[in-house]
Amino acid sequence: MKIAFLGNPGVGKSLIFNQLTGLGVEVNRYPGSSVELECGNVCYKQEKTEIVDLPGIYSLDGNSEEETLVRTFLTSGGADVIVAVLDATKLERNLYLFVQAAEFALKMIAVINMNDAAERHGMHIDAGILSSHLGVPVILAAASEGRNIDRILPVALGEATPARVHVPYDHHIEAALKSLEKTIGTPMHTNLLALQGMGNDPVLLDAAGAIAQEIGMRHRMSVSQIIATNRHNFAREITALVITRTANKKPYDLDSLLTRTFPGIPILCTILFLLLLSVFMIGSWMEGIIVAVFTSSIITPFTALALPPLWEQIGFSLLIALQAGLGIAFPFVFTFYVGLSLLEDTGYMTRAAFLADRAMHRIGLHGEAIIPMVIGFGCTVPAVMSLRLLKTRREQTIAAVLVTMIPCSARTVVIAGIVAAFVGIIWAFSIYLIIFVLLILTAVVLSRITPGEQFGMIVEMSTLRRPQAHLVLAKSWLRIKEFLFIAMPVLIVTSILLGLCQYLGLTELFEQIVAPVTVTLLGLPVYASTALLFGVFRKELAFETLAVLAGTANLGSVMTSVQLYTFAIVSVLFVPCVSTIAVLYRQLGARIAIITSIYTVFLGLFIGAIINILMK
Amino acid sequence: MQPSLREDYLEAVQIFSEKNTRFPLTEELAATLLKPVPVVRSEMVELVSSGDVIVSPKGVITLTLQGKQTGTSVMKKHETLQCFLSEILGMDKSSASDEACTLEHAVSDETIDRLGKLMVTREHHNHHGKRKHKKSDDRTCGVETGEFCQSHSISEFSEGDEVIIQCIHGRACAQRLLDLGLVPGECATIKRKLSNGALVVQVKGCDVAVSPEIASAIGVERSP
Repeated sequence: MKIAFLGNPGVGKSLIFNQLTGLGVEVNRYPGSSVELECGNVCYKQEKTEIVDLPGIYSLDGNSEEETLVRTFLTSGGADVIVAVLDATKLERNLYLFVQAAEFALKMIAVINMNDAAERHGMHIDAGILSSHLGVPVILAAASEGRNIDRILPVALGEATPARVHVPYDHHIEAALKSLEKTIGTPMHTNLLALQGMGNDPVLLDAAGAIAQEIGMRHRMSVSQIIATNRHNFAREITALVITRTANKKPYDLDSLLTRTFPGIPILCTILFLLLLSVFMIGSWMEGIIVAVFTSSIITPFTALALPPLWEQIGFSLLIALQAGLGIAFPFVFTFYVGLSLLEDTGYMTRAAFLADRAMHRIGLHGEAIIPMVIGFGCTVPAVMSLRLLKTRREQTIAAVLVTMIPCSARTVVIAGIVAAFVGIIWAFSIYLIIFVLLILTAVVLSRITPGEQFGMIVEMSTLRRPQAHLVLAKSWLRIKEFLFIAMPVLIVTSILLGLCQYLGLTELFEQIVAPVTVTLLGLPVYASTALLFGVFRKELAFETLAVLAGTANLGSVMTSVQLYTFAIVSVLFVPCVSTIAVLYRQLGARIAIITSIYTVFLGLFIGAIINILMK
Repeated sequence: MQPSLREDYLEAVQIFSEKNTRFPLTEELAATLLKPVPVVRSEMVELVSSGDVIVSPKGVITLTLQGKQTGTSVMKKHETLQCFLSEILGMDKSSASDEACTLEHAVSDETIDRLGKLMVTREHHNHHGKRKHKKSDDRTCGVETGEFCQSHSISEFSEGDEVIIQCIHGRACAQRLLDLGLVPGECATIKRKLSNGALVVQVKGCDVAVSPEIASAIGVERSP
């Protein structure tokens, strides 16, 4: 048996899924935060049941990635039973998706989640009446309290039936559906889609297109609007029958603070600043511990083995890569993910997107782009992965370039370790300033030259909720796994390659070849080019390698302040790390990955050269 | 009495009363129907007994509520049929009228309703081009219909206003808005409006945040 969970974003689908399967699965609070299907297995009465968590969607009629995926899943018989999860506090709007799903004539049950919240709002839902109207079993649940979650599986496996609801469409639409069914023989939901211009049967689309135009003309309204209105009205009728409201004291609306320009924007800035600050503080403290433990317990014993030079080099590179991965992944990225998941689970992210919309418009993006930008301060790899939130290719392209320029936590380490420590804290901030000016300039230029149309933001505000520790951790854990899965192999391979190059003496050759650039253009020592090369592998390695090559940790004694400053700014701007390039390639294709890399190399060298010339 | 005869009488009385803003005398009715007065007078007795008309001692024929309903309905049927026969099928006016006189007694209400709608659509269709030139600054309402809707954009309203959604312009953003419940006829409250025109709209108990350019595509009227 296969069961699929269907519902709007943020209805608690994933939480129920999580409780049933016991696997760490993320809660989709931000519209479209998971495109991949999450699957899990449970045993019920000695029988294996597979549960699929479909991405949260608002409609089955759209053509977004998620909507198409779910539609294909339903039509191709991906599941035997559909568990429709609905938010009790937003029952009417949620029933809209339910009545669409009912048209697929699959076995269904309805789970009305968040009943606890609905009761607090003074709303009481009559499950019996609702069940008689929908024609499927209805379970009133509250996933956050675990109420009635245990009933879902038995009911889904034992009592699920195809829903008996039929939306009373406008009689012209009904007539059109009938005539299409008669002449072409396609099922109702296919015909409904075809009337709205979707599908891939040219004969059907042709016939439906002509009818749709006729109906549109007659009603002075597009067919999609008529169909949506019919469905919403039907959902409203059902809702009116099943909900009784008792007057309740209205809870204080935090949105009166959060979504206003004042104090909303100061709050937003404070939250983001605190997030980055705490990630940085906790991160560097944990990194210190991890690196120290790793070095003393693994690397030192390894070097003590005194293997043949080639093997020693390879083994050493491998260990360094592991150390780098762990040293970045857990302290910085994981801490950051915890903070981000907290923001998402409280529902604050949608407020942030709303407030940021204006600023983002200036640079050719819109509010939702704040998510990748914020993630970018933690680590570029997940930031690039989150670009799929943006709807158009144009926005993804602009945001991809910007996100790779944002100083991630590793770059912050470079700035702090080189500039703040040896040149001065003010100079460290000036680097941020330079990066932001470049970011805005790049964005303004990109928004002019990138082809494609701009699409505005339409975001449903998630309900503000108290986050739950185990869910936040589970979600962060899932994300860090994804991060390690992408970043680790790249780190290891690159590290070993660089190690081999060093062994074969290729790095000296490289230093000689690029010496004109390093020495003449940037005014840096010859060995700095190797450090920069290592920076491509992992940003803060640039700093560590520099110390190793310079032969002292006190960099101030071997390089001038200008040299240190130039080195820091070049390595911060210069090429995103290999993991970023890999994920850019995976997410947006080779072209964007190459263009972004080349652009940042030139930008880094250019700014480095200017600083060298101006300050020398 | 034949049902068709009864309907003819009631129709004639209704037409007369609309035209002259008073009810006819028996003689006047006989004259419009080209019938001898004694025949009309005797048949009026039957209509009085069926409760369709009241004849005053002076001979004024007044329609009862029931009679008026039948009379009006037959008159409308006649008009619709005549219009259909002459304007759409292209028959000449007088033969269309004669034909309509026969058909009006047999035709069902639904057929008349549909014929009426058919003609309204065609009329609208024919006038469409002219309207377009006159009001070229109107916003289009639904690209595929090419229709016009003269509602205001939701951006023109301010925080706290309650509005009724009239239409969604454009194609790209329309579907998501419709899915979120912003459908024509739906009540919405503007919960928040930022200075750049970005809105939080509350609809069906859910808050939806939209960019300024999306907001300008939502056509609304102020809620009464």
